[in-house]
Amino acid sequence: MFDLMCNAIFFASYGNYFGLSNITIGLFDVLLAYIVTIIVSIVVALVLKLPLLPGKPYRYSFDVSAIYPTPIIAIGIFSIFLVLNYTFMYNGIVLAVIIGILSALFVKYLFDFVFPKPLDGDEGEDM
Amino acid sequence: MNEVIGIIIAAILCWLNFVIVDTYFGLPEQPGVKGARIIGENVEKRGGDIAGGFFQGNIVCSPDASAGTLMASIGYLLLGIPGGIIAAFFVFIGNRLCADPGYAGTVGSLTATLIIFVCSFLGFTPEMFIVGMVIAILTVQGIDHKRASIVLGKIAEKFNRHA
Repeated sequence: MFDLMCNAIFFASYGNYFGLSNITIGLFDVLLAYIVTIIVSIVVALVLKLPLLPGKPYRYSFDVSAIYPTPIIAIGIFSIFLVLNYTFMYNGIVLAVIIGILSALFVKYLFDFVFPKPLDGDEGEDM
Repeated sequence: MNEVIGIIIAAILCWLNFVIVDTYFGLPEQPGVKGARIIGENVEKRGGDIAGGFFQGNIVCSPDASAGTLMASIGYLLLGIPGGIIAAFFVFIGNRLCADPGYAGTVGSLTATLIIFVCSFLGFTPEMFIVGMVIAILTVQGIDHKRASIVLGKIAEKFNRHA
């Protein structure tokens, strides 16, 4: 009657359920989904109060920011979904928005825990 | 396109891509980790250039635009343009594991994906870029460290990134 598990699986496999997984989305849709991923990840990262640019000096900064690691992570994960031919609903736009939000949340709250900054100076690798 | 000619042109394109991106993001300026400093000082002791030595040491010690170009070509061969972007993502993870901010690696693989995409209209295949990138790394790391480091140091001076 209230089959949560089955409903959830049906909803998640919306595109593939009726044997539609061979129908790939078009080139324009893919491009649009990439642009949506990048914009959503940057906007959500700014909403979460990440800085727009990394700290100075730019080329050696380990700080996370809205335009450096967030869109890279978002489009990388979205590409993995794309090559696995899983694009969910509305030609991948919904998946793009979800991945953008999740990658911004990851960068804000988990990134320093997963990839900690290296130790300063010569403390790290002593000979 | 003839394979040999394609490989030669692809090697030149890959060499320019990774040397320009790496130099712009400051690989010759300072060693990121201690191993890069040791390699750079060793190259200088043998008569090379210190900036070129740091460049070579940084390439050895963490995946920069050289590894990014190679991985982007392999990803493009396997999966198309998304493969190149996945390669950028993986290079970023590898960079962070190697105590490197990772700007050079990700930008290098994205530009390499763009170059391969544009060149695919001219008849280049991703295989040519894989072989070309191996040849390009061989010219920097494999044949003569001293002369390669002097050339890299001159390029670094032009970009105002000398150590």
